[in-house]
Amino acid sequence: MNKRNLILLFTALIILALVACGKKEEETAEQPSAPATNAPAPTPIDQSTVGEVTGKVSFDGAKPKAPVIHMDQDPVCVQKHAGKVVTAEDAEVNDNGTLPNVFVYVKSGAEKYTFAPPSDPVVLDQNGCMYQPHVLGIMAGQTFKVVSSDPTTHNIHPMPKDNREWNMSQAPGAAPIEQKFARPEIMVPVKCNQHPWMRAWIGVTTNPFYAVTGSDGTFSIKGLPPGTYTIEAWSAIGGTGQTSDQTVTIGPKESKSVDFTFKAS
Amino acid sequence: MPDTSEKDPVITSSLGTFLVVSSVLVMLTLVWALYNEFFGLRPWKSYERDFAVRYVKFLRKQIPVQESAEKAILASPDYQQLDQQVKAAEEQVKDKSDETDKQIAILDARFSAITETFTTERAYVATQVYAIEHTSLDNQTSLQNKLAKHEAGPFRVSLPTLPDGKIVTGDYTFQQLQDEFNKVQLDKANMLEEKSELLRPVSELRKKRDAYLTDHLNGLTTEQMRGVLKKTQDASIEIKQINNPDAGIVDRCETCHAGIREQVVITAKDMGGKEVFVSHPEPDLLTLHDPEKFGCSPCHGGNGMALESKERAHGQYEHWLWPLHPMENVQAGCQQCHAMDMVLDHAPVLSDGKDLFQRRGCVGCHRFQNYDPEPELIASVQQQLLLFENQRSEAQRNIARSIQLGDAAPDNDTARMYYTQADKLRVSISDIDGRIEQLDRRSKDLLRDTKKVGPDLKEVRVKMHPDWIPVWLTNPHAWRPSTRMPRFRLADNEVKAISAFIWQSGIDAALPTQPQGDPVKGKESFETRGCMGCHSLDESSPHFAANLSRVGEKDNYDYLVRWIHNPRERTRPYCPFEKRDLTEADYKKHGLPFVFDLDHSKCPNDGHELQVEQETIMPNLRLTIEESRDIASYLMTLKTKDPSSYAKADYLNDPSLKAQGHALVQRYGCAGCHEIAGMEDEGRIGTELTKEGSKPIEQIDFALLTREAREQGWYDHKGFFEHKLAKPEIYDTGRDWKDRDPNDRLRMPDFDLKQPEINALTTFLMGAVESQIPQRYWDAPEDQRRDIQEGWWVVKKYNCMGCHQFMVGQSSRLMTLPRYQTPEWRDQLPPKLMGEGARVSPDWMEKFLANPAMDSKDTDRDGVRAYLKARMPTFFFSPIEIRKLVRFFQALSGQPMPYIPPKLEPLTDQEIAMARALFTSKGAPCLKCHATGDPSHDKFATAPNFLLARDRLKPGWARRWMLDPSMIAPGTAMPSGLFKPVGDHYVFAGPTPDIFKGYDGDQPELLVRYMFEITPDEQRRLMGMSADMLKTSELIRIQEPVHRLTDSRQNRMPSGPIAAKIAGR
Repeated sequence: MNKRNLILLFTALIILALVACGKKEEETAEQPSAPATNAPAPTPIDQSTVGEVTGKVSFDGAKPKAPVIHMDQDPVCVQKHAGKVVTAEDAEVNDNGTLPNVFVYVKSGAEKYTFAPPSDPVVLDQNGCMYQPHVLGIMAGQTFKVVSSDPTTHNIHPMPKDNREWNMSQAPGAAPIEQKFARPEIMVPVKCNQHPWMRAWIGVTTNPFYAVTGSDGTFSIKGLPPGTYTIEAWSAIGGTGQTSDQTVTIGPKESKSVDFTFKAS
Repeated sequence: MPDTSEKDPVITSSLGTFLVVSSVLVMLTLVWALYNEFFGLRPWKSYERDFAVRYVKFLRKQIPVQESAEKAILASPDYQQLDQQVKAAEEQVKDKSDETDKQIAILDARFSAITETFTTERAYVATQVYAIEHTSLDNQTSLQNKLAKHEAGPFRVSLPTLPDGKIVTGDYTFQQLQDEFNKVQLDKANMLEEKSELLRPVSELRKKRDAYLTDHLNGLTTEQMRGVLKKTQDASIEIKQINNPDAGIVDRCETCHAGIREQVVITAKDMGGKEVFVSHPEPDLLTLHDPEKFGCSPCHGGNGMALESKERAHGQYEHWLWPLHPMENVQAGCQQCHAMDMVLDHAPVLSDGKDLFQRRGCVGCHRFQNYDPEPELIASVQQQLLLFENQRSEAQRNIARSIQLGDAAPDNDTARMYYTQADKLRVSISDIDGRIEQLDRRSKDLLRDTKKVGPDLKEVRVKMHPDWIPVWLTNPHAWRPSTRMPRFRLADNEVKAISAFIWQSGIDAALPTQPQGDPVKGKESFETRGCMGCHSLDESSPHFAANLSRVGEKDNYDYLVRWIHNPRERTRPYCPFEKRDLTEADYKKHGLPFVFDLDHSKCPNDGHELQVEQETIMPNLRLTIEESRDIASYLMTLKTKDPSSYAKADYLNDPSLKAQGHALVQRYGCAGCHEIAGMEDEGRIGTELTKEGSKPIEQIDFALLTREAREQGWYDHKGFFEHKLAKPEIYDTGRDWKDRDPNDRLRMPDFDLKQPEINALTTFLMGAVESQIPQRYWDAPEDQRRDIQEGWWVVKKYNCMGCHQFMVGQSSRLMTLPRYQTPEWRDQLPPKLMGEGARVSPDWMEKFLANPAMDSKDTDRDGVRAYLKARMPTFFFSPIEIRKLVRFFQALSGQPMPYIPPKLEPLTDQEIAMARALFTSKGAPCLKCHATGDPSHDKFATAPNFLLARDRLKPGWARRWMLDPSMIAPGTAMPSGLFKPVGDHYVFAGPTPDIFKGYDGDQPELLVRYMFEITPDEQRRLMGMSADMLKTSELIRIQEPVHRLTDSRQNRMPSGPIAAKIAGR
């Protein structure tokens, strides 16, 4: 009797212990994670408080002589320019000492917002065996549309590091090529293997806050919610690309000015 | 009655205490036994229970997550579209399918309607037939008549009838019933087949739709997961065992590691932190090595049978020879079966170890099977040669005997027999001669393939600045931290003696004085020709060949020029037979010029094969002497101080030091890595390491550290290797070691290995074991996979991966250099070799590897890609290595050998006109990038000349390449989308010339056939036709003789005029 009791007691103890152990695990178990959704909804932004960053990008140093592009490898290209001398855009400096073709964007500070890529495509044209525009911004997931105004065959060959690489031929009169860049990347060079001088630079961002300087060297990034941002400027001047960062805090409806300066390298 | 009885023990004494104590003891024993039964001896039971609990919980949590993911996919537009397609297809065939179903239903009804009557009558007929067969002859006739009458019927049946199922009643005879019965079944079968044919498109679409779900869903479907859940819930607690008696494998690991083969990916986090329950991190490996066949312990180590504790199961106790490999050395387990592999997918650490063993020169002192096998192979070839020579002379003796016997034979038959025997022997001699010839060549080739890890020390006098030598010997790492040369623990006098011996045994010759080159041009050449594929100029990242940042401090300029111009050039040839370096006098003696190279490699004294090359891996870039001077001039500028600032080492010429130096060089085994005069045949001084990982631990000498190692827990192979590699002299310890005879001290030098290198080498050595697995389980294939194994050794030996990409995801060294990061320079990278075997003809490749210039005279060029600044060098591969490489590439692409080119349909005149029109049409960009041989055009060229296609390419590959090159070489300059599919063929995607109107053939195929027929003449014509497209002003100037390619194999190589044309020179 005694023995059986002991066994029973012992077994009961074991069961208790097991149950206790099991319980404990049960308690620490996490809740099932929320089902994954495909695209997170864009963060609503109060348009009445948004501010702006403007600025100018200047070049420090003597204006370099931009290398002349010789297109005689393809007479079609030469004809398009009708004898005008074409120079490399990467080395261009505006007459007022500012830099065109600088890509300025919000590098950090906007991570807490989610933006839906615009439904309009960003268009890159091939005209006179040159890319237009030379520098462009696009949001990750936005459609990138390549058209050609040239009566010669081009191939569009973006050479990204973080995105998928592709290289598509586009014959004269062929349909536009539509592609997307899935991941942010500063900057994706684009080349045409048949006209090796052709070069475009694509800044792929996760937010719509970017701008490219023009012939006056200025830029303006609008619609920024109040907050602190790192603004980065990228320029191809003097080589394969250099960047410069600045931090700026924007209050509601505030407009701040941020200037950048690049040297020849 | 007086109480006289003695005290009755039954009454007076009690066993109570004893019984209580024993019963308590018994109880305790029982408790203990029970405890041991359930927990002590069988800890695995709790593991299994625990797993089931945790896994069920995890699955329950996971199923809803997966369900919602599944729902999202089901709701995705792509899936919906597929689903729509399925539905549309279903809709499309619905009427017909319903109609068929209806008909089948009618047939079914008809069948059942006829069945009853028919089967009843059939039974009756059968009994009657039986009766007829078993009755008397008299009765038979009457019974037969009766049966015939019965069979005539009529049987009235009402049958539903096609097409509308109307019931028709009719009279049938038995035969008609039977026919109808069979016909209905046949009709139904036909109808069913018709239906499945009708539904085939639907079921295919459905399959596509379902595949979309499984492809896009990460992991199992909800339904499959529910199955897993049920299986887990129903599982019983029992030992789970893999048993392969064929290999003697009994592994019970999965009893505790219950999740290892689960298809659901289980992480430790999923199981509440229990690492033991995770699924195998590399399921691919389990696919390659079916656990039912290979078990677990052969790869991982451990005692697969043991279950009583984790320590026992993992084999982590004394006297178990195969403890579980720790995580950082887990790839050690691959080596025992993959010793033949130099490069192993899934085992980067082990592959690294294998590589380091060669690259760091371990192989100079330690034999390891398959490493540097040439000297041994030469010895074995010599043995075989002796054997054949003996066979030959024996056969010759026997011939004479047979003829003699034949001549003296008593009859013609016997005579003929002897004569036949003699003929057989004569033929066998011819066969032996053929074999001997092959062995002679093999021996010569093997001599060519023999390489040393370090430079040739016979050349020190012509190469080095003498004062630098002792500095280097004292501590190579102080002078150049990343060098492969290890640090020997030498006393000053030993350094002096070795330096003096080396210096004095060097060849004393004068090299031609070289004028200075242009260091600026030299720098550009050095950085772009491909030197950086192996060499570096700094201490960063491990590299294959020397860091050259301080060459200017030690080298002689004239020597450097010769070295760059042809690194294989020796000052003197070495005769292995005479065991000495020959001099000019040896040649003069025989009236021969002092010329020795791969074509003049016989010893003038005795005809033996000479070593005519430096035993270096470094290839010849076929640079002009001017460019070599430029590079040498540049390299000479690389120095941190002037060589004259080193302390004078006059003792180098002291003859009294030579003997001591010789003894030291012998003791330290310098000749293992260097060629040293008089020591060419020195053996390796270290232990063979092929099976070192399973050497009994008692035989491994921890010396005085044995106790310490035991106490600190590193008394095992891993501990020994790691400590030895980190500090080779570590076991030279104790009070007296400094007084010990130097010969008793450890000789292994310090390599200054980094931790990852130590780990890789340790992994390699731990895996180097006497395998317990039968040899047939090893990876020693006899088919094309063997070619791949053998090829990797050559690829690694010559560092082909310094310049080429062999696998997607693998970077060549050049690809990682800053220069090659821009879009312009990326197109200057040497070609990727993925799928190379499918691309090029092996015959062509063999010739290209032998001479990448593809021209015997004009060698300052690249035979294929003249537009690349980096150049494919000449490696002077022996035929052995060329064969291995060619087979390697063909095998990697699964191409059969020998290659028999497919016959291409010759082009008709119309087709030629069409191909020309397409090639030169405005939209076609081919000639913009591909070289043509016209210098003014080719300065822009970035792709090979089409003239090469015929001999070099395989037509099928050429077509695939045109259609989508990015599927063959991601990132290539050749664009995709040149052709678009129309129906079952492809057409050019740009504006197509008018001549193509009405042509519905495959246009890329047409171009391939054209490419394979193109001649220089035709190419010029093309250039002329596209004059408005391309700048061709200088084109017409080329008026060289045109060589029409013919089909004969002899003429297939573009040498001579064609090759010259290709190069445009």
